[in-house]
Amino acid sequence: MQQVLNGIFAGSIYALFAIGFTLVFGVLDRLNLAHAAVFTTSAYVGIELVADLGLSIWLAIPAVLVTGAVLGLVIERVAFRPLKGRHDAHFAGLISSIAVGGMFLALLQARYGPDTRRFPADAFPSTDFELGGVRITLLQLVILGVSLGLMLGLAYLVNRTRLGRGMRAVAENPHAAAVLGVNVDRVTATTFAISSALGAVAGVLLAFYVNSAQMTMGFNIELKGLAVIIVGGMGSLKGAMIGGIALGLAEVFAVQYVGSSWRDVVAFGLLFGILLLRPQGLFGARQVREV
Amino acid sequence: MLGDYTATLTLIALTAIFAYSFYAVLMAGQLSLGQAGLASLAGFSATVVMPDSPVVGLSPLVVGIPVGMLVGACVAFLLGLPVMRLRGVFLAIATLGFAEMVRIVLINAEWTGGAQGTSVPKLVTPGIAWGCLLLVAYWFWRLGGSRFGRGLAAIREDELAARAMGVHIRRYRMAAFVTSGAIAGMYGVLLAYFSRFITPDDFGFAAAVDGLVTAVVGGSLLFLGPLLGSGFLTSVPEIQRALGVEAGWIRPFLSALLLLVVILFLPGGLSSLIPRWRTPRLDPSIPAPELPALPPPGTSVLTLKGLGKAYGGLHAVRSVDLELGSGEILGLIGPNGAGKTTLVNLISGLSVPTSGTGTVLGIPLGPDGQGHRFARAGVSRTFQHSKLFDRLTVLENALVGAHVVTRPTLLRRLLWLPSARRDEQRALAQAGAQLARVGLADRAGVNAGALSYGDRRRLEIARALAAHPTLLILDEPAAGMNHVEAQELSTLIRTLAEDGITVLLIEHNVRMVLETCTRIVVLSFGEVIAAGDPATIAKDPVVIEAYLGSDGPADSRV
Amino acid sequence: MSDPLLSVQGLCVSYGRVQAVRDVSFEAAEGSLVALVGANGAGKTSVLNAVAGLLRPRQGKVVFDGTDVTRWSAHRLVDAGLVQVPEGREVLATMTIHENLQLGGWHRRSTADASIDEMYERFPVLAERRDLPAGALSGGEQQMLAIARALVAQPRLLLLDEPSMGLAPRVVDEVFRVLEEIRQSGTTVVLVEQNARRALRAADVGYVLETGSLAHSGPGHELLTDERVIAAYLGID
Repeated sequence: MQQVLNGIFAGSIYALFAIGFTLVFGVLDRLNLAHAAVFTTSAYVGIELVADLGLSIWLAIPAVLVTGAVLGLVIERVAFRPLKGRHDAHFAGLISSIAVGGMFLALLQARYGPDTRRFPADAFPSTDFELGGVRITLLQLVILGVSLGLMLGLAYLVNRTRLGRGMRAVAENPHAAAVLGVNVDRVTATTFAISSALGAVAGVLLAFYVNSAQMTMGFNIELKGLAVIIVGGMGSLKGAMIGGIALGLAEVFAVQYVGSSWRDVVAFGLLFGILLLRPQGLFGARQVREV
Repeated sequence: MLGDYTATLTLIALTAIFAYSFYAVLMAGQLSLGQAGLASLAGFSATVVMPDSPVVGLSPLVVGIPVGMLVGACVAFLLGLPVMRLRGVFLAIATLGFAEMVRIVLINAEWTGGAQGTSVPKLVTPGIAWGCLLLVAYWFWRLGGSRFGRGLAAIREDELAARAMGVHIRRYRMAAFVTSGAIAGMYGVLLAYFSRFITPDDFGFAAAVDGLVTAVVGGSLLFLGPLLGSGFLTSVPEIQRALGVEAGWIRPFLSALLLLVVILFLPGGLSSLIPRWRTPRLDPSIPAPELPALPPPGTSVLTLKGLGKAYGGLHAVRSVDLELGSGEILGLIGPNGAGKTTLVNLISGLSVPTSGTGTVLGIPLGPDGQGHRFARAGVSRTFQHSKLFDRLTVLENALVGAHVVTRPTLLRRLLWLPSARRDEQRALAQAGAQLARVGLADRAGVNAGALSYGDRRRLEIARALAAHPTLLILDEPAAGMNHVEAQELSTLIRTLAEDGITVLLIEHNVRMVLETCTRIVVLSFGEVIAAGDPATIAKDPVVIEAYLGSDGPADSRV
Repeated sequence: MSDPLLSVQGLCVSYGRVQAVRDVSFEAAEGSLVALVGANGAGKTSVLNAVAGLLRPRQGKVVFDGTDVTRWSAHRLVDAGLVQVPEGREVLATMTIHENLQLGGWHRRSTADASIDEMYERFPVLAERRDLPAGALSGGEQQMLAIARALVAQPRLLLLDEPSMGLAPRVVDEVFRVLEEIRQSGTTVVLVEQNARRALRAADVGYVLETGSLAHSGPGHELLTDERVIAAYLGID
């Protein structure tokens, strides 16, 4: 049971990260590979805010949310907007976002050095709860609460607000959206901001969970995030959420029964399986498009 | 001091070889990121197999490198089987996932030494590294001018058009993939026996990205690309060191910035700055190839019975009966949305009918994937929205068009066999003749993307003619042309028919159709509403109504 | 006589190297219905797209209600009351009818709900299916949705690109009936159609385009019986 909960905690972080990918893919039909760099950046920034500026870890969350949004706007403007209308736009978008992500990581290294950073020892509350024989810390509850809260908030935004309708319209048919008078560029930029904000929160939450930030955390989660959205279906928010949690649970059970060093293979096994059997993913309706 | 430079030299060669493994697939427009995993497997396999002492006086690498390449190629083939039907982003992610899986499996394995890796002797000298590099570069140099190489470039530029020209897409893409695997395998072995150490982590995500960056910065359009990319990127830290800049983060920052700048402003990479070679010269002593004669006038070329195509509940084409005989010029007209292009896609094998039957040049219309079968049988077409291979020259476009009537030359080109040169010259003669026929001979060396609109339309026709078609389908060739240009086109079409080619012409320019065609069929809402000679059709009130619309409310009830 | 609501002067539109529209000028007086007819490839859609801000014209001027809007993008124009119903309807198939209508009100936040209710009254079939995805509608119903959606934006000028395309004659009747009502209510309508006769019958003023240029113009009913219009379509003298 403890394991199940651990799987859910990890899974909710995966889901939050994966949603960022899906949002951008939905609206622009492109994959933003700088997403992982935003994730890593926010972990470091979160630690700096808490360790050097004395901010409480709870405040670090909104701070990082805003940082992420800003980074998202930068990524959209620099890596994707200039490629609008180019016939190799999909491919070029992958490369340009890899490039911008690489630049962010290099800058991180300049500021923080290559070593792992941690939160100061007194940063975390020590409250525990016990529920039916299982131990949960306050921190874990907050992680779960924030993840779920943000995901539900996003679902509300997308399904019930004007902006959400605009986002869905642009995702389905940018030309029709433009004809309706939607400012497609602005909606796209906003989507990027939201996507990166969520990815940033995922980053700082993971940093809380493992109490560290490393340069390589981005690579690892990026591949898992990709696996999640492919399994869940590109462009499907529901798929990203459910896929993320499912991955978290699957990993925990794999570690239990097969061994911890095989944990990461689970994601790729699922990925391959889905790509071969049902390329549009569990919940996706999108056609698999050409580059 | 000298030792430093030796290492750098070797590194440039190795980086270039790895970049070539990406180039091999980028040439065909595929983004595969699995090369690192293939290199890893190859490298470790070599450590198992390599003898400890020299073989026949030669370095043990003589065994190791071929083994590595074989492993790379085989694994690439196995990976390619399921993965080949994926496109774009999905292919990239799947191959990336594969590379990661390999890394994890190898880290956990006993025989590789786990995360600690395996220690091996240093066997790779700059000479060996550069020797291998030159072999690889040679392969791609010879590939560039071959039928296979052009086919790959065509797939990259426009896969549908390539398929319509008879290029076997699946086979070509798989071949590119396997080549990439072999080269990645070579790299894996060389890297191991250069660094004296091999661990699975050497072949992770970061390595894959580095290789990709090198290939993209160098450019995927010219065989020199990876070499340029490698030279450039490896010299950055050297320059940095020379300038006394020590910070470890600057190199990755600069290489990422460079990648961004290149992809935004110089999408063809550094190699696109190199001016293109002159157009190959035609050898006048070599005649155009002997091509089979076209069928005599009156032979049935096309028979359709009740042919239909429905998408869900929508009938794009409905119970069409049509017969076409050799030497005719048949005009297919009708208002917008009448189903003309759908019908033509059915006839050229790019789409599958949902009802009715049909035979084109003896081949029955049927299940998918037949585009290249029809091309081989003698059906050739142009497209409504120009599908030229923009980054190839006019001549190269025509050469791809000649795909089905030319022979593969790559293997013979590698050996510089004269028969290869003869076949190439024949292909050039065929392509050149078609360019002359449409009046583009003097622009043979120009990139297709740089042509004026009228010239583009003419190149489409030349490209279609290069396949020596029995049936030539022209999909709105006169779109956007003014009256004079349309008349020139009309004359050209009539000349082609005189030469024995059967022409099926779809056009909106009704005047042109009336002047050019021997027979006309009118489609409306997917059905044939009239057929006959031009004079009759022009006066047919049904036709006029189809174009101009009916008179008024049929009935005032809702 | 007051200035026309829409005045297009010397419009030239190119796609890459193809010049689709050459020096086209026309006007629409407020409250009138103007028809632009011509064979396929004549450039009609390009003209509308340029007017609606979806395309940048190479040359020429578009004046709407006295303001030069040539360089304005589509979202500014919709806000100002210039709305297009595009070729092929382009309803958002995965979104519900209600959401499609709500999107029509993107720039009319305060009045959208009231307008939507009016649309439900006028088009009961939309009201019945309001929570169904728009993709489930038939062609004619989608056309009604597309028009209703545009009306929610409270346009002063409504551009329609081939509204009768792919529709059965009876449905086309209904469409034209709706257009007449719209015109009666004071909205100016510019209509592009391949179905020349219907369009000219309904129009106050008609313009005939041939390969990108203006060939003829005049009151709708006059052009309807003009032999030269038939010739322009079929290229016969």
